[in-house]
Amino acid sequence: MSVAVEARGLSKRYGQIVAADSIDFTVREGECFGFLGPNGAGKTTTMKMIYGLAAMEHGELRVLGLDARTQRREVKSRIGVVPQEENLDRELTVRENLEMQALYHGIRDEERVDELLELALLSTRAGDRPQALSGGMKRRLLIARALVNSPRLVVLDEPTTGLDPQARLAVWDLLDRMKREGVTLILTTHYMEEAQRICDRLVIMDGGRIVAEGSPPELLERFEQESLEDVFLEITGRSLRE
Amino acid sequence: MNDYVPSLHGALAVWQRDLRVFSKVWKGALLPQFVDPLFYLVAMGFGLGTYLATIQGIPYREFIAPGLVASSVMWAASFETTWNVYFKMEESRLYDAVLSTPVEVQDLVSGEVAWAATRALVYGTSFLGIVTIFGLVKSPWALCMPVFLALGGACFAMLGMTFTSLTPRMELYSYYYTLFITPLFLFSGIFYPLDKLPDWATVVAWFTPLYHLVEISRSLILHPDAWTVLGNALWIAVLTGVLFGIPVNRMRRRLVA
Repeated sequence: MSVAVEARGLSKRYGQIVAADSIDFTVREGECFGFLGPNGAGKTTTMKMIYGLAAMEHGELRVLGLDARTQRREVKSRIGVVPQEENLDRELTVRENLEMQALYHGIRDEERVDELLELALLSTRAGDRPQALSGGMKRRLLIARALVNSPRLVVLDEPTTGLDPQARLAVWDLLDRMKREGVTLILTTHYMEEAQRICDRLVIMDGGRIVAEGSPPELLERFEQESLEDVFLEITGRSLRE
Repeated sequence: MNDYVPSLHGALAVWQRDLRVFSKVWKGALLPQFVDPLFYLVAMGFGLGTYLATIQGIPYREFIAPGLVASSVMWAASFETTWNVYFKMEESRLYDAVLSTPVEVQDLVSGEVAWAATRALVYGTSFLGIVTIFGLVKSPWALCMPVFLALGGACFAMLGMTFTSLTPRMELYSYYYTLFITPLFLFSGIFYPLDKLPDWATVVAWFTPLYHLVEISRSLILHPDAWTVLGNALWIAVLTGVLFGIPVNRMRRRLVA
């Protein structure tokens, strides 16, 4: 199986804070790969290094065979990004948000926009401003926006944080669809049940380091625990949600 | 080096986004910024001007009209690249989204400056139209004005972008306006010629961009002189080009930490 993302010795500091401390990981094409850990573990920084919004200090990072350090434009044109914080264009409508995204990518494809509005269940809200949408709808629009350029790899930073259970199910449904279509997914979460449900493999991060790696069943077996929550507690001695 | 060369397509996309937003709000947005120089023209030109004879042989209202055209460009480009850009950079975080696409920081800066120059061009040209209706345009060379209004707009846009890329807080814009933009408005030879002032005042004025734009504007509208126009235009173009690296470098540090 070919490799979608490969990181070797990836490091990044913000002043005194070590956000990523020489981390290594390999994401295979077509899998759903999770980064699990508490706030401040370095998950978001790692995601940002993949999609070019954080400059890496040391190490090697290859995304879809490209050098993430020197080929940022090329990397960004091939991947989709769902950020943790909503950053939709508040001065444009839902539809225009998708059209502008296409323009930033140098694509013009009205059919794709219609298709994505439908996929995100937002066809009836196409003319509204993002501010008028519920939290779940905004998140679905962010996901639809990330798919405008038909990426083979989508990076999602906490795609379900802050959503009610129903909205979370809708997001999971979107993720399942992407997976079925063979899209590689990299996501961060601090919900153990989410990681267990949708990730093929995952790493557990803490304090900028990767402290464990494997598929959810492997990890449960290796640490002889009932849930990933307990695995985390076992490794770090701390609860995930403190 | 690669980090400073903009892609035309990326810059154009940023420009198109702003154009689309402006196309929704232009009716409401155009009027207030229009009325502003108009009030100055009426109050100073037709009010104060009634009590003054002439300046350099030119009736007072004719003397100030070209400067007010130039200043309308300064104000428009400044508003666009200060609060509007800051909002997109720090509040709505729109730039995070844009930079997650193939668009890079240098495209963003180029596109925003181009847009602010476009907007300034719209305001400046519209005000030039009003000045023409008042019968204050004396030379057909005024038809060349849009080119220089766009250039001046780009210069003030670049200055605004530079300050925006450096300012840690939105409140500091009051310093930018009070200590930079407003003094330029008052001391760049719009309301009185600088040749009777002490030498140092003329020297200071020479280092400010609005002075050069006022010179171009007054020349094209009243008494065209190719060297005045081209020399001052060169000054403005050089400043605009020289500044470019600062907002690109600073905004990259802010947005791609």
